Amino acid sequence: MKHPLLDSSKKIFAWGLAWLVLAACQSLLIYYVYGSDLDAAIYDGAISMILYGLLGLAVWFPVRYILRDGSQVYPTVFNVVLTGSVSIVAWLFITRFLVKVFVAEKIDYVIFWHSSLVFRITAGILIYLVIILIYYLFISASQLAAKAARQAQLEAQVRNGELMMLRSQINPHFLFNSLNSISSLTVTDPLKAREMIVKLSDFMRYSLSSRNDQPVTLSNELQSLRLYLQIEKIRFGDRLSIEEDITPEALKTLMPGMLLQPLYENAIKHGVYESTGEVVIRTTAGVEAGLVVMSIVNNVDTEAVVTRKGAGIGLKNVSSRLELFFGDKANLTVNSTDDSFTVILRFPFRTN
Amino acid sequence: MRKIRALIIEDEAPARELIKFMLKDHPDIEIAGECGDGFCGAREIKEKHPDLVFLDIQMPKLTGFELLEVIDEKPEVIFTTAFDQYAIRAFELNAVDYLLKPFSKERFDDALTKAKSRIGKEREEPDRIEKLVTTASEAEGYLTRIVFRKGAGIKIIPLNNVSYLAAEDDYVMIYYSEGKALKPKTMKYYEEHLPPSLFIRVHRSYMVNVEHISRLEPYSKDNYVAVLKSGEKIPVSRSGYKMLRERLSF
Repeated sequence: MKHPLLDSSKKIFAWGLAWLVLAACQSLLIYYVYGSDLDAAIYDGAISMILYGLLGLAVWFPVRYILRDGSQVYPTVFNVVLTGSVSIVAWLFITRFLVKVFVAEKIDYVIFWHSSLVFRITAGILIYLVIILIYYLFISASQLAAKAARQAQLEAQVRNGELMMLRSQINPHFLFNSLNSISSLTVTDPLKAREMIVKLSDFMRYSLSSRNDQPVTLSNELQSLRLYLQIEKIRFGDRLSIEEDITPEALKTLMPGMLLQPLYENAIKHGVYESTGEVVIRTTAGVEAGLVVMSIVNNVDTEAVVTRKGAGIGLKNVSSRLELFFGDKANLTVNSTDDSFTVILRFPFRTN
Repeated sequence: MRKIRALIIEDEAPARELIKFMLKDHPDIEIAGECGDGFCGAREIKEKHPDLVFLDIQMPKLTGFELLEVIDEKPEVIFTTAFDQYAIRAFELNAVDYLLKPFSKERFDDALTKAKSRIGKEREEPDRIEKLVTTASEAEGYLTRIVFRKGAGIKIIPLNNVSYLAAEDDYVMIYYSEGKALKPKTMKYYEEHLPPSLFIRVHRSYMVNVEHISRLEPYSKDNYVAVLKSGEKIPVSRSGYKMLRERLSF
């Protein structure tokens, strides 16, 4: 840590000014209270305070070490007192010596010096305490700033980690089941198999490249998730149908990539997996008063005894990502009835 | 020689197609039927008595594991699943055939060879499927519903509707909102497989759904009864009372 008082000319100036004031005070005090002649009083005041001013700057170096590791009270106090005593004694001796040189040996000055010694020691101690206090404040402030910076850095790391964790993880079963469908299509419909491989590859590429700090447009997001749904459609056939109603304006909004994937995965897991009939996944989006309002709705089999195991994790994931990306201006609401499941997202409309 | 009759129970059409395609090389096997969900599967097994079943695990209505619980017939089963490693280990330990999707023709043929060598022979281990079901559901975590046969149909009871379980000799009677059902299981099995957050074994012979308890009443010195919302009274042992106290924190 650099000297806190010498790192700007403003502070040096203030420091000098403070000592000038102190010097003036001491001179006046000596002149009026102790009745020394003006000459001697001015010399005395100036010499004492210039000396103390320099000493005060020098004291920083031991004090820095004493206070920085101020975890134990008694050693700290002992060191501060020791440094103070040494400083004050040194200050008194040097002052006495210099004043002697400048003011020469006036008989009454020697008497005056002795009579004012108690005052000098008291003033020295008080000034020392003020200096220590100033340094202490500087050290605390810088430690606080360092702590805050460390905290911020840590929080950033945690956030990053969180985002990595939250990055949509594609269910491996999806991949294996899709590959199984492809395996089947190579026999029954090789052309469709090739098409599905391309779709799967495109979707995987999108999923792997999606990052929270690189937003995508809703248009991009939907394009890739349509691939996901089309792949699932090959698996489930007539059991899955997809509907969309999205305004052209909404398509332009920015959002984290793969945000919607867990919602579609849920719709398939709790809709299609549990139903023998047709499940419609309907996506709508529009812009209302600067907010994008999106809904993803799927019907559910009323007869299915829903286990809902693992539900909620995906929704929580989406909700956290929304919050991390948009702050508290975004929200996710869920509405579950006997025959349908609705997720509504609201987030600020943003474009490039 | 009589042909081996196989049933395919699998909810994805392409997956069914693939099995049918791979079966073309096995003229000694005839396809007895196809099903897209577990209910259909249970019905077809009962009607057609297949020798061999290709069984998916994740299916609508009734999972592959649940299906095995509700049938009396015990055909040879080849699981076809995209299940993860825990389950795979469970299958391997129980030496039952399984096909991990996507699977190769060689792997499929191997499984069939194993199955064929078993068909028509006495079972060395009659509780093999039972064991498989146990380990596989362990890999899946706690039960989320209880499945049993009722008349010609199959009944699926979500755990919320189960109020309590009572031991009856070698069986367990399950009391739910609309009736009761006997399951060929032990209290120990349910103690291990029902979520402990919901079900507490309050007595050697009773497990109770804490959500269904209305109050506890002293019965005799050191003994209590749990009064359910339905009005039924369940004996609570001293250790059961302690567990209830902890769980309900009173």
